[in-house]
Amino acid sequence: MTVNRFTSMAYGSADEMIFGNAKKPVKAGLGLEIGAGYTTPEVNYAPRPEAGQSKDKLVREYEKITTDIMARMVQVGFPAVVLETEHVQEMTNNPKWGGEIAHAQKTIMEEYHEEYGIKCALRHTPGDIREDRDYLELRGGKYSTLMEAFDEVASNGADLLSIESMGGKEVFDHAILRNDMQGILYGIGCLGAMDMEYIWQDIAKVAKKNNVVPAGDTDCAQANTAMFIAGGLLDKNLAHTLATITRAIAASRSLVAYEAGAMGPGKDCGYENTIVKSVAGVPISQEGKTSTDAHSDVLGNLVMQCCDLWSNESVEYHGEFGGTSVQCWAETLGYDCSLMNVALKSGNEKVLRDMFVASDRYRDPQGYLLAYDNAYRVGEAIAKDGDNLYLRAKNAALKACEILDEGKKGNLELTRFETNALGKAKADLEALPDDIDQFMSDSMTKYKNEVKVFRPESNYGL
Amino acid sequence: MIEVKPSDILVRYNVKLEKEMAPEEAAEELYPTEEPVRSIAKSIFEGEEDDVIEHLEKAIGAGKDPLDLITDLMAGMDVVSKLYDDGVIFLPNVMMSADAMLEGIDYCKSKSTKTHESKGKIVCHVAEGDVHDIGKNIVAALLRAGGYDVVDLGRDVPVEEVVEAVKKEKPIMVTGTALMTTTMFAFKQINDRLVESGIKVPFQCGGGAVNQDFVEQYELGVYGEEAGDAVKMADTIRKKGSKIDGLRDQFHQH
Ligand code: B12
Repeated sequence: MTVNRFTSMAYGSADEMIFGNAKKPVKAGLGLEIGAGYTTPEVNYAPRPEAGQSKDKLVREYEKITTDIMARMVQVGFPAVVLETEHVQEMTNNPKWGGEIAHAQKTIMEEYHEEYGIKCALRHTPGDIREDRDYLELRGGKYSTLMEAFDEVASNGADLLSIESMGGKEVFDHAILRNDMQGILYGIGCLGAMDMEYIWQDIAKVAKKNNVVPAGDTDCAQANTAMFIAGGLLDKNLAHTLATITRAIAASRSLVAYEAGAMGPGKDCGYENTIVKSVAGVPISQEGKTSTDAHSDVLGNLVMQCCDLWSNESVEYHGEFGGTSVQCWAETLGYDCSLMNVALKSGNEKVLRDMFVASDRYRDPQGYLLAYDNAYRVGEAIAKDGDNLYLRAKNAALKACEILDEGKKGNLELTRFETNALGKAKADLEALPDDIDQFMSDSMTKYKNEVKVFRPESNYGL
Repeated sequence: MIEVKPSDILVRYNVKLEKEMAPEEAAEELYPTEEPVRSIAKSIFEGEEDDVIEHLEKAIGAGKDPLDLITDLMAGMDVVSKLYDDGVIFLPNVMMSADAMLEGIDYCKSKSTKTHESKGKIVCHVAEGDVHDIGKNIVAALLRAGGYDVVDLGRDVPVEEVVEAVKKEKPIMVTGTALMTTTMFAFKQINDRLVESGIKVPFQCGGGAVNQDFVEQYELGVYGEEAGDAVKMADTIRKKGSKIDGLRDQFHQH
């Protein structure tokens, strides 16, 4: 497979971007088309811990989950649904388990599709098992197990293939605790992107062989780590402005999947996806107010602005007053999508989109950056040097600094602490070279020295 | 674009409540007054490793005992901890100071012929099945910077390996980190194996999934909310001994 870099924008202007519509819609599963004029809920779940004890228990747990969701969707009259199964480790480590579960889930979905005509698709997201206890082992023996896991789920009913890849995380984990912009840029923008290029060409091959969709990735392992370390408004572990710059860099990385064969929809927890959509035109899944079952992101409604699938991130399967947890969340997602679909059908979509944005644009610097008008500008900064992985990630970071600086002059309130962190990050970024080779060799020396688990040769072919 | 006045719909509490004083000003008030400890403490606060070494070099040149200077380094870390607790500085500042601290300690040790007495040994680990190690790394770095000798077992550590390490190293305290509801049960097993073997070492457990009620269900468990609590608890053990009840009282949350 070849890698085709994005050097121009998929959209002519930010205002063209809207939920439920992507430049390149994707057909998947049983009658579903994603990004083709309507939004669809994507329900996420995790088995109860006890269910992981054996394969049979796990299969039964997923059968219950699947049946519960499908039953609720038809009870409440929703036209479409996507289910996402994020593997627990055992399912990827034992590819047959993943395959069997995909098959069991799909069988139930097919029954519902046949009986009620409900449009549906199944996403499987194998765990990125490419590590041993102490080191990342991105290209070692576990790589083939991972690819086998993809093949098993794809040949047994999964319609959409995704992963939350971990490349670059060893350097990033070190850098993020030290306000080290160079390490963040190197970990996400360079190492992470290189790993994605490697893995996604192979995932795309597996998808093609099985005639399913290579969907997309997310920078969860890094940008979301930064976001959670930064935490709520009162936490004091990381400046939110730094988490925001990290997010901009993440867009450059997540884009690589689509350059290496993925077609969308991007993964729900990739909060960078609005930026990615502006460049690649692929449909995206997003989560925000509905992912409060899993985490608090301070982004709420805003992230619905351009979503094609709308997700709840992950909820443990258990009972609630209103049914099982997956039923409650599926129903909530369904109503949100219904509202967006009403807006689309009645010509009010831009009003609704802009209300989503207005609700959280100034809550946190990250929301400000991700608001579609600003996200689009970050996209342009990436596409401008689209064929240089380092420069485009650096452009994204600097553009984020510029946008936050502007915001501060307007309605975006920042603490002095956030402002100082922003100023320092900007100065550090500006001091970095423009030449990719020099940056790569400087960083290699620095991080080989500082990060003892960094293995450039075996993990990145450096 | 729809614009409403942000203050009509939300409150940026962090902006509203931010402390008046800039970190540097606050630190100025806390540095010791005499030299060289003042300059050493200041360079620790600033996280400037080169300055730390330079000041240490000077002090040693002027006849100071390298091992005594470790106390001066600690004075810097005390300023850092105080301001972090007060919400004046953030975690990355603490980590950078901790890095500088470790370089300083290594340098002092390398310049001395005597052996340095550490404040005590502590075994750190992440629960079996769990790879989330960022919190544990923070805990270990802060303990090291606090003058403790850390035996870091890493992540996804089998119960038996933790028990063996405790038997071998005889630490004053053990820490456990777990971020998943599925993995934290390993703490209870470690506790049971230690108690069976007659080892009554305080076992401080923290991390995203863990809560106080869970940790206090097993005999040796003390809950740790923030990484800095590990250092505080180790200091308390040195001063007041390792009675679990007392530690639970002191580190009680809510
Ligand atoms: C970063 C992250 C990852 C990274 C980990 C990188 C790394 N090197 O650690 C990666 C991408 C690898 C990852 C993988 C997975 N993750 Co994860 N991950 C997270 C995330 C986003 C942030 C965790 C984090 O680093 N927080 C910041 C650190 C600093 O916090 P902390 O560890 O709690 O430490 C602080 C305190 O607790 C304290 N502390 C910690 N330990 C101790 C000890 C003592 C003694 C003391 C005093 C204090 C203390 O000090 C720290 C600072 O004060 C959380 C989301 C969340 N809401 O937490 C999910 C989360 C933990 N992950 C989750 C899951 C499910 C997974 C996966 C299974 C996903 C998958 N399908 O593959 C795998 C797990 C693989 C495995 N077997 O472990 C779930 C866990 C659900 C649950 N409750 O069981 C979470 C909660 C996300 C979610 N909502 O679903 N993840």
